[in-house]
Amino acid sequence: MDSVLAWLIITVIKILVILGIVLGIGAYLTLVERKVAAHIQRRPGPMVVGWHGLLQPLADGLKLLTKEDLFPRYGNRFLYNLALVLALVPATLVFAVVPFGPEFETFGIKVKPILTDVNVGLLLVFAFGSMAVFAIALAGWASNSKYALIGSMRKAGIVVSYEVVITFAVMGPIILAGTLSTYEIVQKQIEQKLWYIWLQPIAFVVYMFAVLAEMGRVPFDIQEAEAELVTGFTVEYGGMKFGLFPLVEWYVEGLSLSAIAVVLFLGGWSPINIPFLGFIDPLFFLGPLSPFVWFALKVTLLFLFILWLHWTLPRYRIDQITSTAWKVMLPLTFVNLVLTAVIAPLIWR
Amino acid sequence: MPWAKAEEFVELKNRFEGLEVEEKPTLTALHVDKGRLIELLKALKEEFGYKLFIDHSVIDFPDKDPRFQAFYILYNVDERKRVVVKTWTRGELPSIEKLWFAGKWAERECYDMFGIRYEGHENLVRAFMWETYQYYPLRKDFPLEGYATEYLPSLNEVLWGDNLQGLMNYDRMHTPVPTLEDLEITEKRRLQKKAQIVLNWGPLHPGTHGTMWFLFDLEGERVVQCDVILGQLHRGVEKLAENEMYNQFLVYTDRMDYLSALCSNQAWVVAIERLLDITDLVPEKAKYIRTMLSELQRINSHLLWLGTYALDLGALTIFLYAFKEREKLMDIIEGITGARLTISFPRIGGVRMDLPEGALEVIKAFIKRFPKELKEWETILSRNRIWLRRNVDVGIITKEDVYYYGLTGPVARGSGVPYDIRKFEPYDAYEWVEFDIPVGEKGDVYDRYLVRLEEMRQSIRIIEQCVKALEKMPKDAPFFAESPDPKKLKLPLDGIGLKVPEGEIYSSGENPRGELGFYVYSTGGVKPYRVKIRPGSMYNLCVYPKLMKDRVIADAVAILASLDPVVGEIDR
Repeated sequence: MDSVLAWLIITVIKILVILGIVLGIGAYLTLVERKVAAHIQRRPGPMVVGWHGLLQPLADGLKLLTKEDLFPRYGNRFLYNLALVLALVPATLVFAVVPFGPEFETFGIKVKPILTDVNVGLLLVFAFGSMAVFAIALAGWASNSKYALIGSMRKAGIVVSYEVVITFAVMGPIILAGTLSTYEIVQKQIEQKLWYIWLQPIAFVVYMFAVLAEMGRVPFDIQEAEAELVTGFTVEYGGMKFGLFPLVEWYVEGLSLSAIAVVLFLGGWSPINIPFLGFIDPLFFLGPLSPFVWFALKVTLLFLFILWLHWTLPRYRIDQITSTAWKVMLPLTFVNLVLTAVIAPLIWR
Repeated sequence: MPWAKAEEFVELKNRFEGLEVEEKPTLTALHVDKGRLIELLKALKEEFGYKLFIDHSVIDFPDKDPRFQAFYILYNVDERKRVVVKTWTRGELPSIEKLWFAGKWAERECYDMFGIRYEGHENLVRAFMWETYQYYPLRKDFPLEGYATEYLPSLNEVLWGDNLQGLMNYDRMHTPVPTLEDLEITEKRRLQKKAQIVLNWGPLHPGTHGTMWFLFDLEGERVVQCDVILGQLHRGVEKLAENEMYNQFLVYTDRMDYLSALCSNQAWVVAIERLLDITDLVPEKAKYIRTMLSELQRINSHLLWLGTYALDLGALTIFLYAFKEREKLMDIIEGITGARLTISFPRIGGVRMDLPEGALEVIKAFIKRFPKELKEWETILSRNRIWLRRNVDVGIITKEDVYYYGLTGPVARGSGVPYDIRKFEPYDAYEWVEFDIPVGEKGDVYDRYLVRLEEMRQSIRIIEQCVKALEKMPKDAPFFAESPDPKKLKLPLDGIGLKVPEGEIYSSGENPRGELGFYVYSTGGVKPYRVKIRPGSMYNLCVYPKLMKDRVIADAVAILASLDPVVGEIDR
């Protein structure tokens, strides 16, 4: 009885911590993005609200919350609102299976910094990922606008193509680790003294492409494409309802997919890896905090990489994106899969 | 002046009875009977090489019978000469849409503005006004202020019962405005729905770069057919021109192509100088200053094009890079002329004032730095795989299309037609400076992109030479024409207009968006009788529905931006 209570308390704390971190950071990533974009474009970015614009996300949130809630005539109100829920919930739920660090002990209780270490963790991630397409399709349909509809159809087309690609891309690390549990995959990488990116560079590149596509980032941001579709499927949303979509798509989903990339390819919380020899930890002085810092660092770098691409490249056309997915990426992942299956016994030894 | 000589048409005279050839220093015109007009135009196009359609419109003479004089301006690109074909009509003309597609748009405009009926026109709809509008505004009997027939009370009055007083208490009768039903009728007349959905792209849409209203008939994302509804920015500049003095009209040229005001100013000023025959009186310094400034303006305009074009294709950062350089240019222009957007710096006979101290140094610093910046942007874009995939083989315009659709400017040059007024018919200092005309090979969007980038480099070259020439000139060199007989020709233009002799001229300048031509018909006096503006943007846009056929919406922005229209100039 006691242990159940303890488990419950710990889980609730974990949920609160993760939700707080994810949504808080998600909001603050807007500022990061604006600052990064600004410096790429040789301008200072937000500078007025707070020191170097530090309070800007709060001001933005306040503005969005106090805006009038508009609803398009002849739209479907139920689906219109359901789309919001469907967008936010699965994207946040992905964090349930993201391991933030190794197991540690406080007050005599062993705590795994992962909400739920289910043995099909990765499957869950991609199941939730595919849910995003419902949100977007619904948002486009319920808005009763041609622009929104076209935007959502584009996004649906992309997600359908890249879901396949991403699933085959992560097959490699799964074979190498021999498990679907995210926590176990990181453990395996540490045991095998190998980040999987060294053996799976193709899978990693394909995965990153797919992440860009799922997040709707340049060069795959065609569902928004300001110049053509204004802002695509969000065009009829206003106020915070509008704010939620980028928050989810660009930040929450971006964070979760970067975190999964780190887990799969970059050894999770492990420090710098020399293949098959071991790990070097320049942050050893942080002691038990070091793994958490490493994890955060890797996710941040990946996220910044995505931002960097976003603010540099032009965008593809829809047919070019889907044809790349089916004709280039998918065959590549197949080749990668076969190669991995051949190499895998070497790793297992 | 590159006008065809009368002796070329001797043979034609035998074939066409009653053909009169009129040769003036400002114009060569062929007068023909309406019945044989198409035949003559066809002969000119196919046998004499006048392939490029420049412009068509009519002049209204309410006292004469037949009332309207129609003119067609054609250009022979290979031999660099121009000819005008004229005919008289009571209100009907044969359509030339089989010969030149651009004629179709010009005819729509004439139908809209003068009520001319065209036989054989595929879909004669109004060009700028809405379909249910009753009047023909450019006819001489249409008053400048229009007919105030609609009662439009103030909202304050209706909602709150405010008793408006003083200046607020304006007249409640207004000229007609289109209602939603009117617009719907207009839309229906334009496009018969064939496919799944009709997407209203515009009038207010970031991708249209202005207030253009596109109708895309979509099958999925593929555009089955497309049409444009213009007129959201129509201000009747041509009507205004008839009611303003020659010098006063200068400020309206700013407001046409507002992104390249200086070039438009220059084109107008040069046209009037040629009409007055005082081109030689204009001092060299003024010519150099005008040339230099309009080349700066050309870079300015192309920078805006580059920024928005990259923005349309998703490269968000280039936009700000380009605008940063553009800001410097704006500052330079502001420092010299005192204005940033609507400049009105050139004057008939010179420029408004001398260059300020240090202007040349600033310009030199800018042209030293600018090529480096340009190269940086090219590193990001030109060989970028995504950029190539979005641009190469999209929106191909062939050489034949250029003539058929009356395209000019970078759009024509992108397709390999080296049509550049600065070379073909040098005005101001262009004959004294060296520069090349970049041309494309394939005529796709990518070629037009490269042509514009190279044009910026060539502009830098021209500016360099102008700066050199200006530095050599003494400081007190005149910048305004001195009239030999001050009584005859009042050149200082403040207040009183200048008298222009009877005559007509078509003169054009090379704007960043194509040839901006002014056909000026003068009956003497201080005001022109008729000014027809040949907007480069409008004829460049008329190829758009053809290019958009069977392309997807994502290409719409790329193709439109590569044609680079400015609505202020299209609608006038």
